[in-house]
Amino acid sequence: MSEEKNQTYEILSENYEQEMLAKKKAGKKKGREEGPVKLTITSLMDILTILLVFLLKSYSTDPVAVTPSADLDLVKSTTALMPEQTVTITVSKSAILVDNAMALAVKDGKVDGTQKRGGEDGYFIIPLNKMLTDAVEKQRRIAAVNPSAGKSLGIATIIMDGDTPFRLLTEVMYTAGQAEFSKFKFLTISNPEGA
Amino acid sequence: MARKRKQEQPANDINLVPAMNLILILIPLLLTAMETLKLAVINVATPQIGPASEVTPPDQAPDEKPLKLTIALTDRGLHLYARDQVIENKDDPLGPTIPKKDGEEIIDGKPVTGKVYDYEKLTQMLSDIKDENPVEENIIISAESHIKYRYIIQVMDASREKKEGDKKKTLFPNVILSAGVA
Repeated sequence: MSEEKNQTYEILSENYEQEMLAKKKAGKKKGREEGPVKLTITSLMDILTILLVFLLKSYSTDPVAVTPSADLDLVKSTTALMPEQTVTITVSKSAILVDNAMALAVKDGKVDGTQKRGGEDGYFIIPLNKMLTDAVEKQRRIAAVNPSAGKSLGIATIIMDGDTPFRLLTEVMYTAGQAEFSKFKFLTISNPEGA
Repeated sequence: MARKRKQEQPANDINLVPAMNLILILIPLLLTAMETLKLAVINVATPQIGPASEVTPPDQAPDEKPLKLTIALTDRGLHLYARDQVIENKDDPLGPTIPKKDGEEIIDGKPVTGKVYDYEKLTQMLSDIKDENPVEENIIISAESHIKYRYIIQVMDASREKKEGDKKKTLFPNVILSAGVA
């Protein structure tokens, strides 16, 4: 009986020793993998810093930001003049905006007669004129403190959908004219080749 | 001095993790906000009420009528006026100066065949007028009330300059937009 016990013990201990050895080996391997890895990220930081500076620069030099959509299909043109920081009047298929603030709604390329002085045949769009007058007033106040900002007084950038009828364009320009805007810049997508 | 040097710590690695976090957030943000389209503008003026000297170029003979070159866009084609007179189309005296021609235009990204404005002929005619009036730079553009804005821009493009090989000849870059054609 005791002999049998001893035998089992021997077998067990042999197994135990082997298992422990295997565990030790595995542990060692694992330890080597988990050890502190040092990444050299200096070059990556260089790239990212250059990219960041470039993006920040291009971000700050865009005076007009437009996202074309189905509602605002910009026209291509061969002109090469750069946009400037001015009051913007956006005329999309569904709305007229002044400096990205909603002025009034547009339906089928027309402004509702009730929004115009003189009804359907009128040229003077009342809500648009109010917003433009406010924008001019704001510009004047800025120009009083910062004379360089006064350069864009009386200039408006018109961002218009390609399908807008000429009638609405003249209405918008007439209304802007009444709010002391005399020069206009039509914003287009630059296409120097004209293709 | 020597003491100070002793106090200095050996160069430690700077912890760049917060800076990396900031940069990695800012870059996608700026990339999405970045303008991928190149935008440009066309300067347009409205008719101004003022002394005639502002309209007449200084070196033009005073007794000569101002050119007042005008293009009017209608459904049938382009009507040209100079010195308050219609520039007649010899083939069709009652029709527009430059009638629409058969051609193809892209509407909503699809080519559509039909009658289109003849911009090449317009540029050619304006180039001839420019040769006769080299100092004139103004052009008045007008249209019927339902004419789409894109055609007006295209007429402005056609009247601004003419390509002559590698060179560009400036035609009438100063656009004045006038109220609609009745």
